[in-house]
Amino acid sequence: MTWLWHSQKADEYLREIKEQSLLSEAVRQCVEAAGHEHEPETQKTLLRVSHTVYSFSLQAASFGKCFLSNFPPEQFVSMCRDLRVLNAVRDYTVGIPLSLTQFKQMTIQVLIDRLVYRKLYPLAIEVCCYLKTPEYQGVSRVLKHWACYKVQQKEESDEVIAKAVSVKLADAAGISYSEIATKAYESGRTELAIKLLEFEPRSGEQVPLLLKMKKSPLALSKAIESGDTDLVYTVVMYLKNELNRGDFFMMLRNQPVALSLYKQFCKHQEQDTLKDLFNQDDDHEELGNFYVKASYKEQRLEARIAHLQSAVDEYYKAKKEFSAKTTEDEMRLLRFQRKLEEEKGEQLVGFSLHDTMTTLLSVGLHKHVEQLYKDFRVPDKRFWWLRLKALAEKEDWEELEKFSKSKKSPIGYLPFVEVCIKHHNKYEARKYVSKVTLEQKVKAHLAVGDVEGAAEAAIERRNESEIGTVLSRCAATTDHLLVERLNRAKATVAKK
Amino acid sequence: ICFALLCHRTKLILILECQATKTCRKYVDLATNTDNANVKVLIDPKQFSRNEANGIIIIDKLQPRDFHILFVPRRSLLCEQRLKEKGVLNSFTNIDEYILDLIPYDGDLLSMESESSFRECYLENDQTSLYHAAKGLMTLQALYGTIPQIFGKGECARHVANMMLRMKREFAGSQTQILPVFDTLLLLDRNVDLLTPLATQLTYEGLIDEIFGITNGYVKLPPEKFAQKKQGEGGKELPTEPKKLQLNSAEELYAEIRDKNFNAVGAALSKKAKIISAAFEERHNAKTVGEIKQFVSQLPHMQAARSSLANHTSIAELIKDITTSEDFFDSLTVEQEFMTGVDTDKVSTYIEDCIAQKDPLIKILRLVCMQSVCNNGLKQKVLDYYKKEILQTYGYKHILTLKNLERVGLLKPQSTMRNNYPTIRKTLKLWMEDANEQNPNDISYVYSGYAPLSVRLTQVLARPGWRSIEEVLKMLPGPHFEERQQVPTGLHKKRQPGENRTILVFFLGGVTYAEIAALRFLSNMEDSGTEYIIAATKLINGTSWIKSLMDSPEENLP
Repeated sequence: MTWLWHSQKADEYLREIKEQSLLSEAVRQCVEAAGHEHEPETQKTLLRVSHTVYSFSLQAASFGKCFLSNFPPEQFVSMCRDLRVLNAVRDYTVGIPLSLTQFKQMTIQVLIDRLVYRKLYPLAIEVCCYLKTPEYQGVSRVLKHWACYKVQQKEESDEVIAKAVSVKLADAAGISYSEIATKAYESGRTELAIKLLEFEPRSGEQVPLLLKMKKSPLALSKAIESGDTDLVYTVVMYLKNELNRGDFFMMLRNQPVALSLYKQFCKHQEQDTLKDLFNQDDDHEELGNFYVKASYKEQRLEARIAHLQSAVDEYYKAKKEFSAKTTEDEMRLLRFQRKLEEEKGEQLVGFSLHDTMTTLLSVGLHKHVEQLYKDFRVPDKRFWWLRLKALAEKEDWEELEKFSKSKKSPIGYLPFVEVCIKHHNKYEARKYVSKVTLEQKVKAHLAVGDVEGAAEAAIERRNESEIGTVLSRCAATTDHLLVERLNRAKATVAKK
Repeated sequence: ICFALLCHRTKLILILECQATKTCRKYVDLATNTDNANVKVLIDPKQFSRNEANGIIIIDKLQPRDFHILFVPRRSLLCEQRLKEKGVLNSFTNIDEYILDLIPYDGDLLSMESESSFRECYLENDQTSLYHAAKGLMTLQALYGTIPQIFGKGECARHVANMMLRMKREFAGSQTQILPVFDTLLLLDRNVDLLTPLATQLTYEGLIDEIFGITNGYVKLPPEKFAQKKQGEGGKELPTEPKKLQLNSAEELYAEIRDKNFNAVGAALSKKAKIISAAFEERHNAKTVGEIKQFVSQLPHMQAARSSLANHTSIAELIKDITTSEDFFDSLTVEQEFMTGVDTDKVSTYIEDCIAQKDPLIKILRLVCMQSVCNNGLKQKVLDYYKKEILQTYGYKHILTLKNLERVGLLKPQSTMRNNYPTIRKTLKLWMEDANEQNPNDISYVYSGYAPLSVRLTQVLARPGWRSIEEVLKMLPGPHFEERQQVPTGLHKKRQPGENRTILVFFLGGVTYAEIAALRFLSNMEDSGTEYIIAATKLINGTSWIKSLMDSPEENLP
């Protein structure tokens, strides 16, 4: 302590210590001694000593005499910080006479906890801020405890408390409002809990508590707000068990998002509920679709037709003429197929109209095909295609020729050529080439492999791209003359 | 999706996300065939609850084993609840989740592989996949920094953006201090551009997908063209197993040609062939031991290049057989007529003929939908005619599919409103005459003339900005919006002059390979100044897309 009196002895003492290379040890001991000292004045003195010794050594170092090479300043800094905190809690108004060792043992976290238990919230926050504890473990935690305590104060009104909490906690990060709300709810203040939950940004946290408080409509809208469909499902399933069916449906009705999710659930789990839902909404089109789907699940034809009839009725109610008519057609076709199955023993039920007709043609039941053609108003074009393909399939070339002459073909005659070629009958194909319209002549000639004919047609039509197509099909060596002719023609066409 | 088995140290992790019945069958196979006591089953909660009865009974029978559930892509309260009801929740040692939102597919491509996302969002009003998308974007932001700017077009885009902003509030306080990698996020609804997936993709990768279908980065090809012809082994039988190939940018040659118009692939392949054979010729010049050693060290790489070239030449041949066929040409011609607005208001003879010949139903649906989209709806008479033709030819059960297509807007009767498609086409330059397929100068090369609307919107956003096309944006469905997210001070990106902007484009409802190619083309354009990263709920093509919307009940008659 000599230097305190500005005695020159101080320097001597120091040099002595220095000579024994104990400078750093001296600094350390001073700092530590300060730590174990309870009286702030003594602490200050000790720290000042250590500081002086330290600066002395630094000074010396700057003259090239390194006394104190590696003394880290952290110990000094952190001791000052710790002492500040300790002195604060040792104050008689707080009354926690902690020693440094005790403090080190129990950690800052626990100290803050103790302060919180003693409801010394402002001090706890001061400590957190001063020690720069991460917000999440520090200030936010204290504030949460404060709020939990606050909400249990019976004398203040809900509004006042909610406001106070929100103002205090506004800037704090990572606050779990739902925990605070739970506290409020547990102390019987449901209204306050709901108000507090409004501040909770994580819907996942809001919803379970709201359900616990039986605030299901709010829980549902919060779940929907979050966009987390799993959460919505959770609420919906909860409501389904809690409410009677009517109320449940009513609630869903006001929440389209939840309703459509529930419909998805029903589609896979509860078909009958799905029907009820559509009924409730008077959604006749969906009901129609529902019956159509159901019809395909039936084994027996009668049951299937009965479902389709229900579908037709619903479609009419929904003013979906097209769907209704189509479904009626479907029923008609099913009946027709069954009748024919019974009469002729051909497997038909379940085939499309097109396939039914094809099958019938292949077994020669032309009259019945005609009947279907008329009954279902099959367009001429498709009917011609159908017969053309069926006859070619049977390789009934005679009948095909007769058919081609029966009327003017609505699909032209190129399909005749192509279908014959597909069945490797060039001979038959040639018969139809002459009947093909001018526009398709080139294609028809090429299809039967008549390059010369194609060339003639193309040149006649003076069509550049067609001439090009023919050219690409000419072999340079064998069709030498033809190629020349085509090239000439192409040049003339191009000029114009 | 169904991932392969992953051996993770000694534990086997089976990642499955298919129907629960299938899951369980595999699970049982695995549990009985292997000695691994620790088998984890990953199940999609949704699929699981749909077929839970099957799933649980089987699991129950295997009680003596150690059971774990890992939910994919996210833990589901609903599913746990139902497991509890069935009284089996306690038989699981571990219940956890395996969060799988965005799966990296390539250096610039992320996909959620959520098969039915479009169907759920637009048909069933179930936005679960959008929630996962938002969650995935949050994860992405946690890893690559907050994205300062969000643009979007469409209802779903709005919903995702709202959820993202909300989640950001939820995570307040736990913000990561990362320099943002992305400058902008663009969220696009698939229903803003219904036309593009309907058109036949004409890039190399697009055609592979159209013709053979790419699943999880793999394609299965008919084996005939890949038969190894080895000397001295004449008369060897052809393999019957389909050839399975992995397709991604790790393969140098594939990265080079995948996004080219198919018509430019032949030239690229033959150029490559010349380079490779020249490289092999080098060996004659190698005289010294050192030179030979160097040559030998390059051999594996050269051999890999050669086999890659052989594979792609074979694939290109397979594709060429189809693209040069008359059928392909005719149908492409009709598509292009529709896209240019020729005769979109009448019944198309080509479609009629295709129906009469009972061509595949999906082909018909694609064409009819395309005509409807290009005409902003069909006259009631035309629409009913098509519907009747389809139902009579393919069966009445498809009435449900047709209704689905109408509900999502792919098919619709013409309203009193004027057809606005021509205006959209002209303003956005969706049709470019004489698209240059060999050395493209515009994105329209990916469809040989048609520039995908979605990508045009992206392009205009980057330059000159959406304000220039306000009118057209109003014609497209759903709101368009811009949001900004606060980036912590000090993390503002200071762009060096000449440094590219990075835009993340997220397709809600799926993206096609041709669209990806178009965006890559924009990234590589010299003066674009923008780099695009692509994310999507699913990689789709017209066929898989229409298929996902179909509803054809199984016949149950004996």
